[in-house]
Amino acid sequence: MTGAEVLTATVRISAPPAAVFPYFIDPALLVRWLGEWADLDPEPGGRFALDLGKTPVRGEYVEVEPPKRVVFTWGVPGRDSLPPGSTTVEIVLTADGPDTVVELFHHDLPAEEFDSHLEGWIAKLDQLVRLGAWAAP
Amino acid sequence: MSAARGDAASGAPGEGDPADAVLRALADPHRRQILRLVRGGELAAGEIASHFDATQQGVSHHLQVLAKAGLLSERRDGVRRLYALDPHGLDPVREVLADLWPSALERLKYVVEQDQQKVAAPKRAGRKP
Repeated sequence: MTGAEVLTATVRISAPPAAVFPYFIDPALLVRWLGEWADLDPEPGGRFALDLGKTPVRGEYVEVEPPKRVVFTWGVPGRDSLPPGSTTVEIVLTADGPDTVVELFHHDLPAEEFDSHLEGWIAKLDQLVRLGAWAAP
Repeated sequence: MSAARGDAASGAPGEGDPADAVLRALADPHRRQILRLVRGGELAAGEIASHFDATQQGVSHHLQVLAKAGLLSERRDGVRRLYALDPHGLDPVREVLADLWPSALERLKYVVEQDQQKVAAPKRAGRKP
């Protein structure tokens, strides 16, 4: 996968995986931590639709294995640099004592090489910063 | 929903925010065009200006904005000023991106743990392993 990048993030939550998992598949629970509106059909091939502010994120579920793993695609309609299906978010929930360790991998993001991906970056930057601004506490 | 909450944790963002400066620099089509021109290698200010109808002064303003944002590096060669892409120019914005998921996951943690407390309000972690 030349030129693609994986972003990772992780968090430890004081709750078992079975209590955490629904927050990735139930629209009413998802929007409490991600976005303002969601329409989810959590089965392989099912719809993953989410609005982050004014940005529509669209994709589909690829894998749904309660309570430990969920994978969906992630893109923005009309964005050449980030079309639906172009990137994939993988979430792994691992029990650790009474806690859950959540690991998130965002695969296939455009690479950082500035000069070879300048166009993509310019288009994407705006998008990312909007998402970043939205995500700021 | 507060639309414009201040940044309580790390002081005032705004003007001084490097990611903001990068974004503002990229917001102008002339400046994006300049970046495209120099992606092939270092160019003198005059060579860059020759691609534009704008005055040399206007182009030089754009070059300064790009340099200040860290997107272009600048060096002197005699009387010429030479500009090249700064490979680290996008780092501040990459940090914003890198912060998206961690922020979201922190919120997830908060929401889940709040909900758990509601469910298990009466008994608090008294079990032995």
